[in-house]
This record gives sequence, structure tokens and C-alpha cells, in this order.
Amino acid sequence: MANYIFSNIAGNFVIDSGNRIIDKSSDAVALRAKYKAVEHADAKIVLSLFRGKEYLSAFREKNLAISKEKIRLSVNQDNLISQSMNAMQEMEKVSNLLSKRLREWYSLYNPEFSESISSNSKFSELVSAKSREELLKEIGAKNTMGADLGKTDLDAINVLASAIVRINATKESTREYAENIMKSYCPNLLGVAGVSLSARLIEHTGSLKKLAFIPSSTIQLLGAEKALFRHMRTGSRPPRHGFISEHQSICSAPQKERGKLARQLAARISKAVKIDYFRGKHD
Amino acid sequence: MIESSIFGVYEERNGKRRELYTKNLVPGMKVYAEKLVSKGQDEFRQWDPRKSKLAAAILKGSPNIGIRKNDIVLYLGCSTGTTVSHVSDLVGAEGFVFGLDSSPRVLRDFIFLCEKRKNITALLEDANKPLDYVDKVCQVDILYQDIAQRNQPEIFLKNVDIFLKKGGYALFAVKSRSIDVTKNPKVIFQQVRSEIEKKLTIIDYRTLDPFELDHCMFICKK
Ligand SMILES: C[S@@+](CC[C@H](N)C(=O)[O-])C[C@H]1O[C@@H](n2cnc3c(N)ncnc32)[C@H](O)[C@@H]1O
Repeated sequence: MANYIFSNIAGNFVIDSGNRIIDKSSDAVALRAKYKAVEHADAKIVLSLFRGKEYLSAFREKNLAISKEKIRLSVNQDNLISQSMNAMQEMEKVSNLLSKRLREWYSLYNPEFSESISSNSKFSELVSAKSREELLKEIGAKNTMGADLGKTDLDAINVLASAIVRINATKESTREYAENIMKSYCPNLLGVAGVSLSARLIEHTGSLKKLAFIPSSTIQLLGAEKALFRHMRTGSRPPRHGFISEHQSICSAPQKERGKLARQLAARISKAVKIDYFRGKHD
Repeated sequence: MIESSIFGVYEERNGKRRELYTKNLVPGMKVYAEKLVSKGQDEFRQWDPRKSKLAAAILKGSPNIGIRKNDIVLYLGCSTGTTVSHVSDLVGAEGFVFGLDSSPRVLRDFIFLCEKRKNITALLEDANKPLDYVDKVCQVDILYQDIAQRNQPEIFLKNVDIFLKKGGYALFAVKSRSIDVTKNPKVIFQQVRSEIEKKLTIIDYRTLDPFELDHCMFICKK
């Protein structure tokens, strides 16, 4: 009568022809030696033998340990690029929101200067660095309709202005960080698409690998999925481009050429990504 | 709070609305933002049909979801464990749930849930490749699948075949849009039905609107 051997994360088991577990050991080699020519068991049949409490608790502990280790090992360059990409986008949003607030607040004191400068980042830098008198002079204004605020009031405004300056600087250093990763991880993609579009494409698909297996016609439309599905369901106008429309070569082109340019850029991106991904594989 | 006709599921009327609850296996502990209600010795967790397709199926009228106390469950596509937490309540301390997902990000959160509930564990695996986890689970009484994949019926049948015991229940949440966005969901559900009918007896079918659009639930027996 043949005995079967079956191994799982709870151990190694010898099962007889009546489908009973007759021996077990953590040492599979010893089991094989002891039972001589054992055959492999059909998993479908023997899985019913492991429903007992002691097995369930082994399954629980071992699976948790295995999964934790897999999660630890799953962290990679794609994750770091995606997180930095999202952080950049969020800092941009926060910075714009706070800059609007700073303008409102500072305009109680010096509306002429707020009115004269449109760049948010310059505005917060100057407000945090210079006095009202200096700033009025710079714009050639003699006086202001702003109120005369006291030192504690101005200090409070200044704290916000410096916080915005710091957020902007952090955004810039995060961008450099992402760029440095990509210089070695996907230099060709970086060269074709630039830091923020490259990062966005990786973030959106999840990895350079996935991006490498996506056809160029799909890359062209990443980020325009809603419009695409609407088109497929209802026959509305198809979108011409998604994220890649933020690329310099497309957003600065006339409307009627954008479709063609988007297709060409997508093709170049697709080629670059494949080179980057498969080069990494052979190194 | 009254016991519903479904094992382990409790119900309360809130005006015209029916609210579902399960008895909290770990009193005092919330899993998502659900409401906790104490009645006498017991604590109940509200089961949100907008966050859990199984609750949606019950509210849409499924008379029997097959899950009983002490059952062993294989749950494919456990995500962060919203539905699993209620299934864990249903099977109780002597039951067990294997939660499986292929995404490290969601499984990370799910592992924290496992640490709080002794009757669940977590597998980071691709449900498309059952042979990769045949050494990590046992035969189960219930197989539940909710994954957004084009070949979800094929994955479902593969797993049913290997892991589900004869006479066990297989619950299958289908998202028509991940099979084909252009087709009418009803047509897709019909195709899925004829595909799984070859292997299983379908005992109930519910579309899940308005809780989830373009989704349905098949409850089957092996
Ligand atoms: C809609 S969510 C499930 C939500 C969950 N059932 C609940 O109600 O709490 C779908 C899950 O399936 C997972 N998934 C997708 N493809 C998978 C595969 N091939 N194998 C395992 N899990 C997969 C996704 O990572 C995602 O977490």
C-alpha cells in the first residue's frame, strides 16, 4: 500500500491510502527515508485533513510571518517615486491654498503690493523677507490703503509666509530627489518625458514594469480613463490625450496638432520605458 | 435589535431603512467607521451595504448566504478587510478566515486587522495562481471572491475546484465593468451565470444597485 507525502507551511506529512495522516515531521528528508518510496499526494484530496485547530493556528502564524516578509520585500523604487510624486502634488496644492490665504491676510496691511505681483512663490518670499516700506518702494507706490498693524499681528502673518517658503523649498528638494532616483532607474523615460510626467506615469500604472507592457496607444490616454470609458459606452468624442498633455511639446502646441503630437510623444515614451525596463532586467 | 433569518445577522429598523449588524467578536473595536451598538451583554457592529457587497446582497433579499458558525472561509480579494471583519464575526472564535489579496498596500492594513482578530490570517498571493498557495491553506466550507479581474469567473472556478468542499457555498461578487466596460451588465452577468452553472448550482442571484452599480452577487453550492 502506497503512502503519500504532502508538505505545507504547517509541516511535512505522511498520508496512507485511507487518507489518514500517519506521521509528520519538520524534517522532510527524514520522513522520506523512513517511509521509503513515498509518492506525492494530490492536494485536492488531502487538503481536508488540515482543518483541525492545531493546523489553523499554524496556518495563521506562518501566513502572517510570510506575508509580513513579502510586504517588507515588496518595497521598491516605484513606490519611492510614487510617494514623492504624490507628495509634490500635494505640496503644490497646499502651497496654492495657503498662498491665497496669505494674500488676503497681508492685503489688510499692504494691498498695493499684493495686487502688483502675481507669482505666489515670489510673493511669499518677499513678504517674509522685506518690510512694507521696502516693498512699496519697489513697486513705486507712495502710500497704501492698508491698515497699520502692530508687531504681533505682522509676526503672525510672517510665520505663515515663511511656512509657505519652506513648503516650496521642500517641493523643490523632493523633485530633485525623484529626479535622482529616475536618473539611474529610468533615464530614457526621464529624458523624454521629464521628472513630473515620468513620475506621474509610474505612479498611475503602479510600476515601470507595468508601464513597459502597456501599448503606446494606451500610454497616450493614461489619465483620461473617464473620458475614454464614456466614449466606449456612449460614443461621445474620444479623448486625444491624458497626462501626457502636460508635456511642454503638447501644451504649447496649437489645438489641431495636439492629437498627432500626443501620439508621437506616447510612442517615444513607450520606447524609452521598454529600454529602461529591459535594460534593468539584463544588468 | 432582532435576529434576522440569516445566521448571525441582526437587523434594526431605522424609519424605513433596514440596518444590518453582526455581533462584534472583539467588543470595543471598530474596523472601519461603522457604528457600534450595545444591547445587554453584547455589542453589535453596523454592516454598511455601501462598503460591503455581502451586506448589499442581504439587503437586496438574498435569503441565505451559507455562512455558519465555525465555518472555514477562503476570501479572495480581502482588501483591507471591511467585509472579512463581518465574516469573522459570523464564523466566530472557532471559525476561521483566510484573507488573500495580491496588493501589498491593502494587505498591510489587513495584517493589522489580523493581529486584532485571532480567527483570520493574511496571504499575499495572486488568486490566478492557486498552486502558489495550496500549501498555505486547508479545504474550506465557504469560498468568497471579490476581485476586479477580466477573467474573474475562471479564477473563481479554479479556486472552487481545489479548495471548496463538496456541499460548500461559493459566493461570487461580479463587477461587470472589469470584464467589459462596453457591454450591458445584464448580458455579462448572464454569460457569467452560464459559465459557472457548469460546475455549481446557483441558489441565488442579486444585482447590488443602488449600493453598488453594475455589480451582482451569485450564491452557489458545490
Ligand atoms: C473591490 S476590492 C475587494 C473589497 C472587499 N471584498 C471588501 O468588501 O471589503 C478588490 C480586491 O481584489 C484584489 N485583487 C485584484 N486582483 C487580484 C488577484 N489576481 N489576486 C488577488 N487579489 C486581487 C485587489 O487588490 C483589491 O484589494
